[in-house]
Amino acid sequence: MTAATAITQQDCLARLASIAGRENAHFADDAIAVAAADAHQVAEILRFANSNSIAVTPSGSGTKLGWGNPVAPGIRLDLKRMNTLREHPWQDMTCTVEAGCTWAAMQTELARHGQMVALDPLWPARATVGGVVATNDSGALRLKYGGLRDLIIGMTAVLADGTIAKTGGKVVKNVAGYDLHKLMTGSFGTLGVVTEVNFRLHPVEVHARTWTAVAPDPTPLAAPLRALLDSQMTPSAVQLRARKQECALDIRIAALPACMDIHAANLRNIFGQIELNESSEAAWQAREELFETKGRLVLKVSLLPVDVCPVSLELQQWAAREKIEIDLVSQATGLMTVALSGSLEKAIALIEHLRARLRGSGGSVIALRIPEPLRAGLEPWGCDSNALPLMREIKRRFDPNRILNPGRFVGNI
Amino acid sequence: MLPQRAIDELRAAVGADGLITGQSQLQTYECDGLTNFRVLPGAVVLPRNAAEVQAIVSVCARHKIPFVSRGAGTGLSGGALPAAGGVVIGLARMNRILEVDIANRFVVVEPGVINSHVTQRVAAQGYFYAPDPSSQSVCTIGGNVAENSGGAHCLKYGFTVTHTLALEVVLPSGELVQLGSPTLDAPGYDLPGVFVGSEGTLGVATKITLRIVKRPEVVQTLLAAFDSPQAAGQTVSDIIAAGMLPSALEIMDALAIEAAEAAVHAHYPVCGGLLLVELDGPSSEVEALMREALAICRNNGARQIRVAQSDQERALVWKGRKAAFAAMGRISPNYIVQDGVIPRTALPRVLSEIQRMASAVNLRVANVFHAGDGNLHPLVLYDRAIAGQEEIALDLSYRILHLCVDNGGSITGEHGVGKEKQQALGYMFSEPDLQTMQLVRCAFDPENISNPDKVFPRPRLCADKPGPYTPHPLETAGIAEIF
Repeated sequence: MTAATAITQQDCLARLASIAGRENAHFADDAIAVAAADAHQVAEILRFANSNSIAVTPSGSGTKLGWGNPVAPGIRLDLKRMNTLREHPWQDMTCTVEAGCTWAAMQTELARHGQMVALDPLWPARATVGGVVATNDSGALRLKYGGLRDLIIGMTAVLADGTIAKTGGKVVKNVAGYDLHKLMTGSFGTLGVVTEVNFRLHPVEVHARTWTAVAPDPTPLAAPLRALLDSQMTPSAVQLRARKQECALDIRIAALPACMDIHAANLRNIFGQIELNESSEAAWQAREELFETKGRLVLKVSLLPVDVCPVSLELQQWAAREKIEIDLVSQATGLMTVALSGSLEKAIALIEHLRARLRGSGGSVIALRIPEPLRAGLEPWGCDSNALPLMREIKRRFDPNRILNPGRFVGNI
Repeated sequence: MLPQRAIDELRAAVGADGLITGQSQLQTYECDGLTNFRVLPGAVVLPRNAAEVQAIVSVCARHKIPFVSRGAGTGLSGGALPAAGGVVIGLARMNRILEVDIANRFVVVEPGVINSHVTQRVAAQGYFYAPDPSSQSVCTIGGNVAENSGGAHCLKYGFTVTHTLALEVVLPSGELVQLGSPTLDAPGYDLPGVFVGSEGTLGVATKITLRIVKRPEVVQTLLAAFDSPQAAGQTVSDIIAAGMLPSALEIMDALAIEAAEAAVHAHYPVCGGLLLVELDGPSSEVEALMREALAICRNNGARQIRVAQSDQERALVWKGRKAAFAAMGRISPNYIVQDGVIPRTALPRVLSEIQRMASAVNLRVANVFHAGDGNLHPLVLYDRAIAGQEEIALDLSYRILHLCVDNGGSITGEHGVGKEKQQALGYMFSEPDLQTMQLVRCAFDPENISNPDKVFPRPRLCADKPGPYTPHPLETAGIAEIF
């Protein structure tokens, strides 16, 4: 507990219980967990925390709470009670959803009108909208539909001082005022607590098929991948999977049923001698599977699209040389997830090597999941941006007492 | 007026040929596309590179002189209007395309590069730059970044922000920073996301990394004539509800058609509501979807349907559409261009209400709009020579914006808030919302010198003043079309 004033744990609990109800506030580990019912309760809780300098970590299901630097909050602000799809004007293809709603629950509701938020984050059954937004997670569909910054059209967030602020709106095209929702997205809960998000929607991909090409290493797949992305085909998702001596390229195409054979023929044309087989939707679980083995370090590597195959090959070779296991899944957009096991020294060596390798092209390496034994020796963000002072100044303006996830983000923001 | 010392420092920064202080030359810069607001700057500087921009901004920061950066000056909300006696940073000389990376699908440009030149540069490789404001043959990327410009095709392809990967920016302190990266999700806050569309209030972009897009295999454009814009609007809703994402969905009403015909002779059918649907993508898909779109048009009572048979025919269809604003001069002595957004389903209701409001004050409103994303451009027609009519027209255009907000929309879809709609921003956002935006402003520009007194409402003013339209000099000269 980081309380600067003399408020006791008991007093703190009593105050939070008075805001959110006795049944919604309790001691949990080293913090007090409180579940807010709406943005007004969130505001009251934050005002209380702010005036007592108590660190707050907002959370949904907690699937990504370990990402970033560790925080020891006095209050864990649970948003799971705020879990409804507030509006779905389906003819406008937009929706407004509360932050504590799970991704899957939201999508199930939207699917009743054949619509979706066109993003495939990790663990949709548990991950909440707020958590996905705070961590700017995205999956393979990003190739076709863009990331959260392209799908979020408005937001309600509560600032550290309890200000409830709306940004953007409920229409897709809108340039009125600053796009604070873009600033909030991916800010890891360090600027405010997102309570509600407005999305633009897309039609569900009713007819979609996946094809897979395999090879022992990424080299033979590089040319067809490049040709595919340079073609006039419009795949929904393309990913490269690589592990020891095994490599696969998956392509998902959504189209009218009558056109599917034409797309398949075009695809085969691009791949020439390399065999393409139809595969199951399960291929798209690959990124999530990288997190399944406990004790592995998981990295988010961002690189240029042309570097996907060469860097994957380098990682395969490095793993063979160092006798460690590396699994990776890379989206064609250049966002790569890498899981590895091994000693701290080897992990640090790899991260440093990769950061140096990618620096020239603007790439980055973030350690998402860090096994406890490696925690002390690893800086997760590797942010060497010369805009860091500006980011710190933004944080200072939004949260001068540093109560929102203090230290969790880049540069210990 | 600027202190002599500051002028000397500016001259040292850009050289004598990069500094304008003569009264008559300064007048060239006294307004942008919103021509009824005019303010004379104290000096105009024309830097050649980022280092010179840095030097200029540092001078401004030292002396606390307000500065406004400017590209081609085609903006319609007064975003490039100078601060009185302040510095205008004209970026027209910074017009190099610095890097073209086809394999990674991005280009790096300076802010003075003209929008359509980006596409021209990558067209041979089969790529294009998607945002297409209709001033695209003259407007600059720097201005597009400031305004988060859209265009007719952003329904499918998104806005300037969708296509901006990274920026090099001179902050109002004079520091040079890199925001974002050509790779996705650079660690840290999404600063390009907040910088794009900040209307010049957060600094000066000196280098912009833009995403480019593969040109679709085929493009098909259909024109359908309906009895009313409401019927055309319903057709738009039905097309979207069928799960289609056309690259453009445009509607013009009878007045707009009349004006466009007079100006461009696009051979539009005479009707109450003309719908333009453009589909693009793989040929097999487009053909199938076009059949479906045609059926939807017929079901909604389209009296005449035409599919453009050639690129020339399509170009003519678009020429009429893009000339619609300027064409108003053919049917009305004066007019005000507005830029509101509403949820698509509110189209029929809002259009009827606009007509009712116009009739009540005996004015005509022509409607041209990006129907797919609910972006209306009501054109309020009036005659300044009739005493009192300008005030009535201004009031009407202002009330139309409020109508958009009341229907769950926005006061601007692509023209920006600028000088014109500061008060309307206060109608759309509450005080806490605006104060939160100010936190960002203050983090970037604590001294409030970067395009000050724009975007945010000024409490001392009680009313907004959307401008009556007077042609921009570029437009009169036939160089640009205002969209």
